[in-house]
Amino acid sequence: MNSEDPRQAQLDTRLSRLLGGLDAEAGFEERVMQRVAKLAAAAPREDLRAQFERRRDLLRRRLRREAWMNGITILGLGACASALLWRYASEIQKLGTDSIPLIDPGLLIGSTLAAVGAALWFLIRRSRE
Amino acid sequence: MPADDAIIALIQGGRAGEAFERLMPAYRRRVFGLAYSLLRDRGAAEDVAQEAFVKLWQALPRYDGRAQLSTWIYAITRNAAISAMRKRRRLVSMTDPVVLEEVECRSAMPSTEPEDVALWRQVEALPDKQRQAVTLYYQEQRPVEEAAAMMGLPVNTVKTHLHRARASLATALRIAGMEST
Repeated sequence: MNSEDPRQAQLDTRLSRLLGGLDAEAGFEERVMQRVAKLAAAAPREDLRAQFERRRDLLRRRLRREAWMNGITILGLGACASALLWRYASEIQKLGTDSIPLIDPGLLIGSTLAAVGAALWFLIRRSRE
Repeated sequence: MPADDAIIALIQGGRAGEAFERLMPAYRRRVFGLAYSLLRDRGAAEDVAQEAFVKLWQALPRYDGRAQLSTWIYAITRNAAISAMRKRRRLVSMTDPVVLEEVECRSAMPSTEPEDVALWRQVEALPDKQRQAVTLYYQEQRPVEEAAAMMGLPVNTVKTHLHRARASLATALRIAGMEST
């Protein structure tokens, strides 16, 4: 951009002299570092809070997803059981009427209680997780 | 730029703090010059340059090297300056523009020599892009390519702005010289 024309060259020199000293005030870098230090001091607290919120959000999403999956599984199992009952209703009825008198009532009550207990134990354990 | 390579190596090595300490002295004048060329006010340019460096400090660990470091820094500075200009425009609408321009002109003038003052006024009277190109080019006698990168414009466009600005200034100063004699 330098010119052969002496007038232009003089203009270049004057512009360089005029604008060449353009710089921030003394102590600029110290002032920036002070601002940065203030931000850095506040940053760990912000980080922890953000981390906590991020984790809580992830947990909420996971639980919501699991609740959906559990619902779908229960519905599916229920539907299968209903279909089987529907399909084999007469056989089940016949088996029931034939075999129940043969089963020991104590054993029947015991196994029913054991099944209910196992289900309760499973539910309590899930609710504590 | 070798200094940029060292800074990038530090960022990639997870030493953003050290990178920032090297970056600030290397880019202080350029960032300030760019802010000043857009805002035409030393105080406002200083505020914007500080703001730009704080933003750079926050963003430095996320710098991925896709853009050149200098281009990235200039983009952050330009955005900070544009935000400041928007805020100022809202203030200007509540202030007498003639008084404000006079205050800005005085606060910006780097010299009180009559010759310099005349030249300064001519530079200030240039269209925005021409004034910006002149400020950035003559601030450090930097290559036109770098002034173009700072302005975010093609090199040839900046060359044209510079050429027109120099012609206007030469004519204006010749006329002023003839009037004073």
